[in-house]
Amino acid sequence: MVKFLSDEWIEYGKEYIRRNLDPARDLGNLTTSVHGVIEHVPPTDSTTTFYLELQNGQLSDFILRVGATIPEKTPVFVITGTYGAYRDIFEGKVGTAMAILKNRIKLKGSKVEALKIIKQLDGLIDALRKVTDEFEEGPFPS
Amino acid sequence: MTPHPLVTVKKTDFDAAVAIATKGTHCGMCRIDFLGTGLCPSGKKHGYLAYWPQGRMELIKHLADGTIQPTEALIEIAESCSLCGLCDKQCNFATQLRPEKVAQAIKDYVATLDTKDFLKIPKDAIVTGLQKIVGEKWATNDPVIIASYVRSIIAPNVPLDFYVVMPETTEQVSQIVQFANTNNLPFLPRSGGTALSVASPTVLANATNLEHGIIIDLLRMKKLEIHTESSTAVVGAGVTSFELQKEAYKHHLRANVAEAGAHVCANIATTGIVTTWGNSYGCFADNFIDLQLVDNDGVIKTHHDLEISNPYAVDNGFANISLSPPYILTETTVKLYPIFDDEEAVMVPFDNVEDALDAVIELGRRGVGLSLAVLSYKYLAEFICPTRQIATDFEDVCKNYLKLRYVLDVVCKKEDKKIVEDLLGYTIDESMLRTLILGSPKLASLKNSEFMKILSEETDPLRAIFAGPMKKHLEQGLEATPANIAKVYDEDLQDFFKKIYAKPEFTDVVWLHAFRILPSRLMRQRMAMGPGGAIWAGDKAHILKWIKMFSDVGDKHRLEHALGFISPLDNGKFIYIEYDYFYDHNNPEAAGRISKTLLETTEQSLVLGGIFTLINYLFKGIYRKEHVLYPLPKGLTVEEDTMFKDVLHSLLGDF
Repeated sequence: MVKFLSDEWIEYGKEYIRRNLDPARDLGNLTTSVHGVIEHVPPTDSTTTFYLELQNGQLSDFILRVGATIPEKTPVFVITGTYGAYRDIFEGKVGTAMAILKNRIKLKGSKVEALKIIKQLDGLIDALRKVTDEFEEGPFPS
Repeated sequence: MTPHPLVTVKKTDFDAAVAIATKGTHCGMCRIDFLGTGLCPSGKKHGYLAYWPQGRMELIKHLADGTIQPTEALIEIAESCSLCGLCDKQCNFATQLRPEKVAQAIKDYVATLDTKDFLKIPKDAIVTGLQKIVGEKWATNDPVIIASYVRSIIAPNVPLDFYVVMPETTEQVSQIVQFANTNNLPFLPRSGGTALSVASPTVLANATNLEHGIIIDLLRMKKLEIHTESSTAVVGAGVTSFELQKEAYKHHLRANVAEAGAHVCANIATTGIVTTWGNSYGCFADNFIDLQLVDNDGVIKTHHDLEISNPYAVDNGFANISLSPPYILTETTVKLYPIFDDEEAVMVPFDNVEDALDAVIELGRRGVGLSLAVLSYKYLAEFICPTRQIATDFEDVCKNYLKLRYVLDVVCKKEDKKIVEDLLGYTIDESMLRTLILGSPKLASLKNSEFMKILSEETDPLRAIFAGPMKKHLEQGLEATPANIAKVYDEDLQDFFKKIYAKPEFTDVVWLHAFRILPSRLMRQRMAMGPGGAIWAGDKAHILKWIKMFSDVGDKHRLEHALGFISPLDNGKFIYIEYDYFYDHNNPEAAGRISKTLLETTEQSLVLGGIFTLINYLFKGIYRKEHVLYPLPKGLTVEEDTMFKDVLHSLLGDF
C-alpha cells in the first residue's frame, strides 16, 4: 500500500491495473482518457493532476504532475474536485457516479458519455483503491 | 457511566417517549407558527434542530439505542424546554403526536445523571474555524446536537462525523464553503429537511444525504421584506413558505409557495415551486426576479449581474441528473400576486379519473382558476380529517358509498366560478366545504350506516348529496361545529382546538390553499412521492398510461397508493402529476418495497418518454420553464435504458 498521489501510487497503480484488470471483461476494450484535477492538496493547498489513458482496454498512460493541467495531454474528460472529494472516492466512502451527481466533483466533457463508461470507471477506481490507503489528514490551516 | 436508580423508575416514561419519537414524521411544522400560538421558545432562541421538538424526538432515539452519550449540550437542551405545551398543540394538529412527553423524558433522564456523566466535547480546529466565521454559538461538533439532524440530512446508521454551522448572511455562507473546500470537507445546506427525511428510509438516503462533513443549517437567514410598490418580496434562505405568505397577506398580496414548512429558497432550488397555482402564477424561473447564490467554490453570484452568462438555461436530459444542489441559494426576490375580493373555492366531485382529467385540462386551457387541480379522495381525506383513523373511514365513505374518487379543486374569481358551473353542472360550494371540514368525523362515522347504504344505491350519489335533495340533510346531519370536531382530540386539548377551528381561516378553503398547512397530515401515514412530473396535456391516452403505470407498480409491490394531484402548467399545455405511495417508515421491509417502487417508476417513466419526470428537473428550479420543460424527452432506447440501470447500480448498489 502506498500514499495517494505519490510516484509509487502511479507505479503500483499501473502494475495492479495491468496485472488484474482484463481489457475486455473489466474495461470493455475502452478507449478514453481522463484528467483528474485535485485541488487543495495538503499540506500546501496545491493542485495536482493525473492523466490516465486507456487504449482498447489497455492502460497506455498514467502520469502525475503538479498544477491544474498537463498541457501536452488532451483528455476526453476532465474531473475536478478537492483532495477531500478524491479521498472519499478512493476510500470507498462515495462512488464516482455519486460524486459527480452530488456535485462533489465537476465533470468537463459529455456526461452521457461519462455515464456510459461508469462501470469501467468504477473498476479502475476500485483497482487504484487497492493500492492506496495513505492520505493526508486534516484539518489544514485556511 | 453509573446509572442513577431513577432511570429504572422513569424507564416506562422514557420508553413511551421513544415510542412517540419513533412515529415522528420530520414534517417541521413545529418550526412555524401556523396556529398563532407563538413558536417553541427553546428552538427560537437556540436554533439548532436539537432544541426544537422535531430534533428532540430524533435525539431521544439515539440516547435510547446508545449511539450517542450525554454531553454538556444535553443539559442545555433539557433545561431550555419550559414544557409550555406549544409543541403538543402544533404536532397534534398535524400528526396527533405529543412531543412534550419526549421533552419531559429527556429532562427526567438528565436529572438522573451525575455531572461527571456528561461528556465534554473538545473543540477541534474545524469547529474553531467555523466559529470564527459565524460566532461561537453557531457552530458545533457536539454529537447530541448532530444526532438531531439524522434522518433529515444524515442517513440513519452512519457515524456522526459531522459539524453543524448556522450562518446568518450570504457572506458567511461563502466563507463556510471556502473553509470547507480548503479543509477538504464535503458540505450540504439544510433548510426544512422534509424532502431529505422522505428519502431517508429508502435506498435514496445515501444519494441525497451528506456522508460526512459540514451541515449548513440555513434557518437563521430570516431576511423578509415585502415591497408593495413592485409586488415582490426579498426572502432569505431561512424563511418558510408560511412565513412569506403571512407577510404577503398583510399587504393583500399572495406568494406562490410550497407546503407551509418548506423553505422558499430551497423549494425554488429543488423543484422550482410547482403548485396548484402554477397555471396562473408560473413555475421554475417564473417565480422570481432575482437570486443570490453561493457556488461550490464559495463565490457569491447574483442574477442581476450583467456580466454573467445566461443563468436561466439548462440541459434537461436525464444524464444531467443532480442529486445535490450545485449552489446554495441564499436569497431570492420573488413575485407576489394580487388577492381578489371575490375569490372563492369550489370543488366538483368525479367518480373516475378520465372525466376529472378532461375537466382540469379544459379549464387549464381556458385560464380558469387561480389555483386549479384534481385531487384524489386520499388527499381530500388526509387534508381535512383531524386524525388518521377518521381519514381512513372518510376514504372508505368517499370510495365505497359516495363514489367520490376525485375532486376538481378550483380557487377562482366569481366569473370563473360561473364557467365551472356552466361546464360541469354543479359545484361543492364553500359552505359545504366548511361543513365537510368540521363534519369530517361525523361523516367518517357514517361508514356502514343505513344512510350511506341508501345513498350508494342512488344512480348518481355525488349529485344527490352535493346538488340534490340530500344536501340539506347532510349539512344538518354532520353537526359541523368547532366544538364537535374538537372532541376528537385528547381531552386536555379540546378547548384549544375548539378555539382553533372557530378561527375563520381554519375553514376558509382559499386560505388553506394559500398557506398549505394541511399537506403535513400526509406524513401521518408516511408518504413517498413517486417520481411525478410534467406531461403534455394533449395526449390523454399517454397521461392515463402513465398514471396506470404508477398504479400497477404500486400493486406489484403491495403498497397502498393513490394519485396525489393533477394540475395544469404553462396555460394548460402541460399537466403536472404527483402520485403517492404510503407505508410504515419504521418497517425496513416496507421501505425496501418503496425503494424498488421509486426506482422502477422512475425507469418506466423515462422509458415511456414524453414525460419530464423528477429526475429531469431535480435541482433545476432556478432555470426558465422553457428550458426545463421543453423539449419533451423521447423515451429511452434499449441501450440508454441499460446505461441508466448501470448508473443506478453504480449509485445505489443492489436493490
